[in-house]
Amino acid sequence: MKKVVISSVLMALLVLSGCGDKEPQVEATDSATQEVQQVETESVSSVEAPVVTESATESTSQVITRLESELKTIYFDFDKFNIRADMQANLSTGASVVNTQAKNFFVKLEGNCDEWGSDEYNFALGLKRAETVKKALTAEGVDASRISMVSFGESNPVCTDKSKECWSKNRRVEFKLLP
Amino acid sequence: MKIFVSILLVMASLFASDATIDVVKKADSLPSIAVEDSSASYDQTFKSKFFKSVIADLNVLSIFNVDRNHRNVNFDAASVLVENKNMNYVLRYKLFEGDGRSLNVELKLINNNGVVYNKNYKVNNTNTYMFVSHTIAYDINKFMGEPPVEWMKRKVIFARMISPQKSELVISDYTLTYQHIVVKGGFNVFPKWANKEQSAFYYSSLDENKPTLKHVDIKTGKSKVIKSSDGMMICSDVNGDGSKLLLTMAPKGQPDIYLYDVNTKATKALTNYGGIDVSGQFLESDKVVFVSDRLGYPNIFSLNMNTGAVEQVVYYGKSNAACSVFGKYIVYKARESSDAFGNNTFNLHLVSTETDFIRRLTAVGVNEFPRFSVDGDAIIFIKNYEGQSSIGVIRLNHNKNYLFPLQYGKVQSMDW
Repeated sequence: MKKVVISSVLMALLVLSGCGDKEPQVEATDSATQEVQQVETESVSSVEAPVVTESATESTSQVITRLESELKTIYFDFDKFNIRADMQANLSTGASVVNTQAKNFFVKLEGNCDEWGSDEYNFALGLKRAETVKKALTAEGVDASRISMVSFGESNPVCTDKSKECWSKNRRVEFKLLP
Repeated sequence: MKIFVSILLVMASLFASDATIDVVKKADSLPSIAVEDSSASYDQTFKSKFFKSVIADLNVLSIFNVDRNHRNVNFDAASVLVENKNMNYVLRYKLFEGDGRSLNVELKLINNNGVVYNKNYKVNNTNTYMFVSHTIAYDINKFMGEPPVEWMKRKVIFARMISPQKSELVISDYTLTYQHIVVKGGFNVFPKWANKEQSAFYYSSLDENKPTLKHVDIKTGKSKVIKSSDGMMICSDVNGDGSKLLLTMAPKGQPDIYLYDVNTKATKALTNYGGIDVSGQFLESDKVVFVSDRLGYPNIFSLNMNTGAVEQVVYYGKSNAACSVFGKYIVYKARESSDAFGNNTFNLHLVSTETDFIRRLTAVGVNEFPRFSVDGDAIIFIKNYEGQSSIGVIRLNHNKNYLFPLQYGKVQSMDW
């Protein structure tokens, strides 16, 4: 019994004394490594993360603004909703932009009319204009599920003068991009 | 001779009640009326405003030759003023302030030096004085045994465009004197009363991702979404008991007319033509009148909801883009010039489903958005002429039009 107690005490002393010798070295190494790691990690996260987030927000709206300026308005004749021959180029440009640079955005087509009428028919005319543009875009390969439409009738004029130039500017379909 | 006279009598009785026939002016034969003011309370400005309102309402009744002189007299004076001795009728009233700043009106109608009618009125404050004036005119009209002018007491709800994509919904009286903005901010159009009591209304909101129909309870101010649709979402008509709506929707980009059940929320497509079908209006219990371009230009058609049969209703005009229905009568807007480069004229016309007569109701400017009054006695419409937006009232049986200009903005749409 005495032998067992003595050997246990000796073992304990050995273990404890051994630990006592190695501990400072291990700690020193560990803390040195941690410090280096901490500095590295912090510098990465604090520099990169915010920059990524900010540049993403800015660029989405900037990209939308830039691309929308490339999407040219389609104008229509009085009381008509067919695409005029001189608007075909605008439409093709639009389809091309929507299919390439703007392929990650949804497209909203806003139909508008001139001031001659504030009734439902005028709103429907604006919508048919948007629908014609939608059909033309899908014919050029744009996925229809990316396109939504709305009509603002005569209630969204870009020009309010009483002139033929002004009225013709209001009979239009505008492209809007949605994230 | 007897046969000839009886034919004439039959003809006269046939046309007597046909509103599509012009009424020959009978101004000379109308009884005269003067208004005497006995008010003690209130300043001259308010007294003058009230007097003008009463005069205007009596004029719109179209049953009197109204004297416009503002004269004061003691309410209890035994006889009418000397200047009014020759008048057939004298309307004398006294305004006085009651408890809690309420506006009280005592009124009597004098004929042959005797009081033939009297009544008292009260409203909570002076801001709504015009509704007292309209009610007085309504009562006088009723006393005179004329067909009721229920519409005079009703409220008008309209959308006023302030700037592109910005509007407000306004509740007013029929003269636009009283105006209360109920929906401010945003892009909201096509308001429509939800019931006969005018305690709630629908409107289209264009601020959402998709056009959305909303319902507002005026008493509680609570708003709820009814339905959304891609492209278009407009409540064109509400049936008599408010349980069914005619909607114009375009879920697939195609404007069509749908029947919506308010209780079950079920929607049923009524039209499926590939062009434009809009502006459904209930006609009788199983028919709908609507605007369609199925002949290549906008015109008015009727649809039997049971059989699906479609009939052309109007045979005059090259571009008839809006209408309103009351019983056998249809009032529609026709474009009378199709000039892409100049001013266009749009006039309102009245037809009956039973005769071939057409009556033109307006003469100049852009006249649109006709709406029959609840009793069919009058038509309210939007007039835009020389930069001025007004609401007009046509008294069909009296052949008279009245215009009430809007102070600012442009009326986009309205309901009565």
